[in-house]
Amino acid sequence: MDLLANLGLGFAVALTPWNLLFAFIGAMIGTLIGVLPGIGPIATIAMLLPLTFHLEPTAGLIMLAGIFYGAQYGGSTSAILINLPGETSSVVTTLDGHQMAVQGRAGAALAVAALASFFAGCVATALIATFAPPLARLGQSFGSPEYFSLMLLGLIAAVVLAHGSVIKAVAMIVLGLLLGLIGTDGNTGGQRFTFGLNELADGLDVATLAIGLFGISEIIANLANREAHRDVVTKRITRLWPTPDDFRRAWPAVLRGTSLGAVLGVLPGGGATLSAFAAYALEKRVSDRPAMFGRGAVEGVAAPEAANNAGAQSSFIPMLTLGIPGNPVMALMIGALMIHGIQPGPQIMTDRPQMFWGMVASMWIGNLMLVIINLPLIGFWVQLLKVPYRFLYLAILMFCAIGVYSVNNSTAAVLIAALFGVAGFVFQRLACEPAPLILGFVLGPLMEENLRRALRVSGGDPTIFLTRPISLGLLIAAAILLLIVALPAIRSTREQAFQE
Amino acid sequence: MRRSLTALLAAACLAVTSLGTAALAQDKYPSKPVKIIVPYAPGGATDIVARLVGEHMRQDLGQSFVVENKPGAFGIIAIEEMARAKPDGYTVMIGNVSTNAITPVLFPQKFKIAYDKDVVPVTRLVDIPEFMVATTKDFPPKTVKELIDHAKKNPGKVRYGSVGVGSYPHYDAALFAKRAGDLDMVAIHNKAGASGVINDLVSGDSQFAFLNVASTAAMIKAGNLRPLALVNHARLPDYPDVATMQELGYPGVGTIAWQGLFAPAGTPPEVLQILFDAAGKAMQAPAVQEAFKKQNFNIVPSKSLAEAKTWLADEMATWKKITSEVKIELAE
Repeated sequence: MDLLANLGLGFAVALTPWNLLFAFIGAMIGTLIGVLPGIGPIATIAMLLPLTFHLEPTAGLIMLAGIFYGAQYGGSTSAILINLPGETSSVVTTLDGHQMAVQGRAGAALAVAALASFFAGCVATALIATFAPPLARLGQSFGSPEYFSLMLLGLIAAVVLAHGSVIKAVAMIVLGLLLGLIGTDGNTGGQRFTFGLNELADGLDVATLAIGLFGISEIIANLANREAHRDVVTKRITRLWPTPDDFRRAWPAVLRGTSLGAVLGVLPGGGATLSAFAAYALEKRVSDRPAMFGRGAVEGVAAPEAANNAGAQSSFIPMLTLGIPGNPVMALMIGALMIHGIQPGPQIMTDRPQMFWGMVASMWIGNLMLVIINLPLIGFWVQLLKVPYRFLYLAILMFCAIGVYSVNNSTAAVLIAALFGVAGFVFQRLACEPAPLILGFVLGPLMEENLRRALRVSGGDPTIFLTRPISLGLLIAAAILLLIVALPAIRSTREQAFQE
Repeated sequence: MRRSLTALLAAACLAVTSLGTAALAQDKYPSKPVKIIVPYAPGGATDIVARLVGEHMRQDLGQSFVVENKPGAFGIIAIEEMARAKPDGYTVMIGNVSTNAITPVLFPQKFKIAYDKDVVPVTRLVDIPEFMVATTKDFPPKTVKELIDHAKKNPGKVRYGSVGVGSYPHYDAALFAKRAGDLDMVAIHNKAGASGVINDLVSGDSQFAFLNVASTAAMIKAGNLRPLALVNHARLPDYPDVATMQELGYPGVGTIAWQGLFAPAGTPPEVLQILFDAAGKAMQAPAVQEAFKKQNFNIVPSKSLAEAKTWLADEMATWKKITSEVKIELAE
């Protein structure tokens, strides 16, 4: 009963012309910056932050939220069309989405991505409305041992991601872990692999790494192999809409991706990214045609897209209810609220119901707007592929450079991205997948930090991981997954399935 | 937005055309947009102070104050960028106690510039009161005295949160431990900043920490955290029952984290004076006062450029003393 009354209040706030306008502006800006590689929501929201000082807080928040989830929609567009993840969470979308585009099914991939995002966004918003307080408590019960076990599970799941040899996948994960070690050690203040360069003191940025490894290396590969890239450009695009078979396959994947994303998004620290990877791994596990993954499987687009949108949506829960930002965008939103003297926290739902419920309602409206903005644009985006590659790649490179620079306003980052572009090309030639590397890079440092923190909490006693129930459960799941990967019988069928 | 963009463009054009006539630019400062470098990513307290104060300095001086975030290396990247810029008043920086006092004291060898000689303070802006907060999860102490007794009974068992080795919340807790009778406690570091430490407190990974009042307010209200003591010049009206560290007999324990405006040392004195006056005026603007008051920031501008210099010198001396009283081992 309360819920309906609250939602009624929310819609009354969100449907005022003023707030509708700001939801639309946010969704539109978000889509655009999402499409441009590298120029992420963080830089955009930072630039627009002073504008919100003069706005009523709810309108400001609605606009900033629109930018954030709009970017999740837009990010998949460049991932599919030009193999360039506009957002870290769309790294996984490149795997099958771009393959679909190469096969002339870019329109279908874009439509599936938009619809999956829409569905996931709506469901996750409903989750926020119903379960925000209990979900927030779930996040609170996660201490360092639980995080460590979750990260371990995630890393083992990453092996499943690779569709080449297991050895190579493990090697890439370990390489990612090593890259993640670069920077200042939080417990001793020691510098690791920084070679005395202040630019490396805070480590590498994941966007820099992803743009280099995926975007720039793809350009090098295309230029190195003229015939292959001509295929992308001239292949006839037969239809823009997914086939009935696509819908049949995508539907259950969307459901699974949404549930995974909604749960993982609540956890601070890369919830949306982790959930996209996890959803992809899960899909590949349960699929009746795992060999198709990485070769244009529609469920390989639908599941991670649903997961990252659900994750993006549910990452609002710890921000709004606990005042704990799960990612840098949420930290910015807290900044925007604090300017107005609003401290997000457990009281926000009772102290400021208009704002809380207005924002929840605006998420539905925003998601609806995004589908309306994105579906007609599909035809336009696909046309973009017809631009001669010699012009296209220059534009892509330029946006990559701007995007990488804007993360920290650092020229060193641009050089690092270029370096990883070359490295990515070498990996491609060696048939090594960069996706597990990214996951290792994201999870590795978190895993280390939580491992060491947990051991400091327990006074050096490693049984802490086994005596806490959630942690134990996650470790058992990791062990089972490891067995599945390692068992010889299963492995042989796996290798058969993934024969290149 | 549109208007300010046009203004910015116009200003940029003006700046370009007047490049050849340096004398013109000197006639009236500022004649083009001023860059404020912030040593943190967007969204934190320093960034927000810079954007708010910059916006009001623009209204006063008629030129945009553009915030550029240059995070990294404890502020060294931002400080070096500012110190190496042309000292004409068009590149300044807003830094805080960590970046502009602790970093130069702890890591002088990491700078490629001479901090003392190449950087001058323009004015102090705000300082931010801090709570010593304890978690309410499985942690009985409700006062500073109870905390000390608890720590004495459980050596090596009480854990305090910090945002990193050598950060001021780390020094605050370590100095407290030393002054309270060499308590044996464990530091739990979290790179994710204040929000990470709050998460650790609420989940029980750490048990108490020194954190700024604004970040902890919501969790205190919700009953997850309990303020044990306040680090401020005086008690806060919002928390009349929370005694200050001085009152409790621990003067000098805890950091009232300040933020200040800095410029390259070669900046002409008359330009520094214009910046000083404009910053002072911005701090008087009702919107700024209100925003800072809501977050319990104290508005504490320096009285003059000369006073700002002695203030920074005193701060550096204080931190030299603290870092020699509490030896925190930093790996090289």
